[in-house]
Amino acid sequence: MEKPSINELFAVLLARDFHAEDRTIMVGANMPMARAAAVMANVTTHPDARISIGLGVQGLGDGGDPPAVHPFLFDPRTMAAEALMFQGRVFDDMHSPDVFFVGGLQVDQRGNLNLFGIPDGEGGWKMRGPGSIALATMSAYCAGYYIVMPSHSTRTFVERVALISALGDATERARLKLPGGGIRMLLSPLGVFDFNDAGDMRLRSLHQGVTLEEVQEATGFELDVPDQVPVTPGPTDEEMQLLRERVDVYGTLA
Amino acid sequence: MPLGGRSSSLSEIDDAIACVVDGTTVGIGGAVTAGHPMALVRALARRGVRDLTVVAPTGGIEVDLLIAAGCVSRIVGSYVGIEAIAGVGPVYRSAIESGRVEVVDLDEAHCVAGLRAAGQGLPFLPWRGGVGTAFPQLNPTLIEFDDPVRGEPLLAIPAIELDVALIYAEVSDCYGNAQPVGTGHMDALLGSAAKQVVIQVDRVVSTEEIRRNPEKTIYWPGSKVVKAPFGTHPYSNGWMTSDEQHLVDFVAAAKGGDETLSEYLRVHVLEPEDNDAYLETVGIRRISSLLI
Repeated sequence: MEKPSINELFAVLLARDFHAEDRTIMVGANMPMARAAAVMANVTTHPDARISIGLGVQGLGDGGDPPAVHPFLFDPRTMAAEALMFQGRVFDDMHSPDVFFVGGLQVDQRGNLNLFGIPDGEGGWKMRGPGSIALATMSAYCAGYYIVMPSHSTRTFVERVALISALGDATERARLKLPGGGIRMLLSPLGVFDFNDAGDMRLRSLHQGVTLEEVQEATGFELDVPDQVPVTPGPTDEEMQLLRERVDVYGTLA
Repeated sequence: MPLGGRSSSLSEIDDAIACVVDGTTVGIGGAVTAGHPMALVRALARRGVRDLTVVAPTGGIEVDLLIAAGCVSRIVGSYVGIEAIAGVGPVYRSAIESGRVEVVDLDEAHCVAGLRAAGQGLPFLPWRGGVGTAFPQLNPTLIEFDDPVRGEPLLAIPAIELDVALIYAEVSDCYGNAQPVGTGHMDALLGSAAKQVVIQVDRVVSTEEIRRNPEKTIYWPGSKVVKAPFGTHPYSNGWMTSDEQHLVDFVAAAKGGDETLSEYLRVHVLEPEDNDAYLETVGIRRISSLLI
């Protein structure tokens, strides 16, 4: 079998990490790896979950046909679903979303995420991102969220983000009484990360072939590195078969 | 008593969008790659109005096109991009970085709360998401306050009052009883937040057909209905996928510089005199390949 792409690896790692009690998994725009993860979990470990993908809400635990991972989230084919995701009503149900996924231009040592861009310090923009979509809201409320960073360098992993789109800092979240559970896990092309008891980013595992020095050089702050850092367990043949043959049939993650 | 006689809401595209003038605050429906009223947007860009405030809750190239045509001075919303094809709307990005266009940042849920406040005739609605983030710093109209009931920190999201809402629905009858396909995104909220609503539809149907599914109807007094089949292209409606290749080509043109972007605008926006002429620039084979 061909080597997994980074997005395929992300999909498998996310699908493995969902908690047993997760019932509602919601996926935002430009996160096809999260769409695949939600479907994978729904057809295997999480038959009772409801997954919100694009315009549709699915429950695939009875063997229903998984929706393909289309290049665009809001594809009309996602309306072949058991319920629809109404953008004007989805925020009326803030007790319900358990899991959400976010990406960003920058992440910092405390887990804060920036999708706004980099201001120029004079009221304008040095680099403008797309806007924060629903990051602030979903990260405030959902039981837990995953950060998926498409690149890992000293430009994207910084000591302090220029602007906070999603507040990850556990201390600040508690002070502001945010109801959600905060960050569960962070994935980058180099490794898997979480946050220690003090709320600082910690290395959990290194992807196959990545060295500790590489990660430290690509990170703009001092990572918490435990004594033993395992290699990220790669996808099994079974997981890859499920992903490629039933879930990502168009090869969007390839 | 005189006999009744219902007024028609049907309108030609240029008459319908005449309500958008220089300086208008205009909300545009759809979400990311779905359901944007692109025929109305192209007609607006063609007319060359200036100084618009565009409220695009989760926007796409409708924002880029209007900026490229010089129509926009301010963008209000939570996102402008084309997912993996362009993480950020290319024209939006360069216009903001150069300072030509101002951006007013909102969370997607702030868009819902602000539009709902406008529809409800309220000055604001409270929201929690955004507390502890850069939102109040970037957008000073968002005011932090401690809620008077439980004392928790919240944000006041001011009403987003629109002069005009441009939205897409699959069908309408000639009286403005429109029926969106699927979820209708934030379109109903935009309509209720606006003084004037213009609805682009693929088909105009009889009121008998509307009566078969009355629960789907959205309606605002005095709205204008414009027939523009396939008019969401290059974005999807309920039975047509997005045109990925067209979007890739648009992004290439936008990133290629002023000359290639002007050429895109000339071919696809400025020269086609109506929606049918636009569709001819796309071609029947391409349109046909998008139907699901």
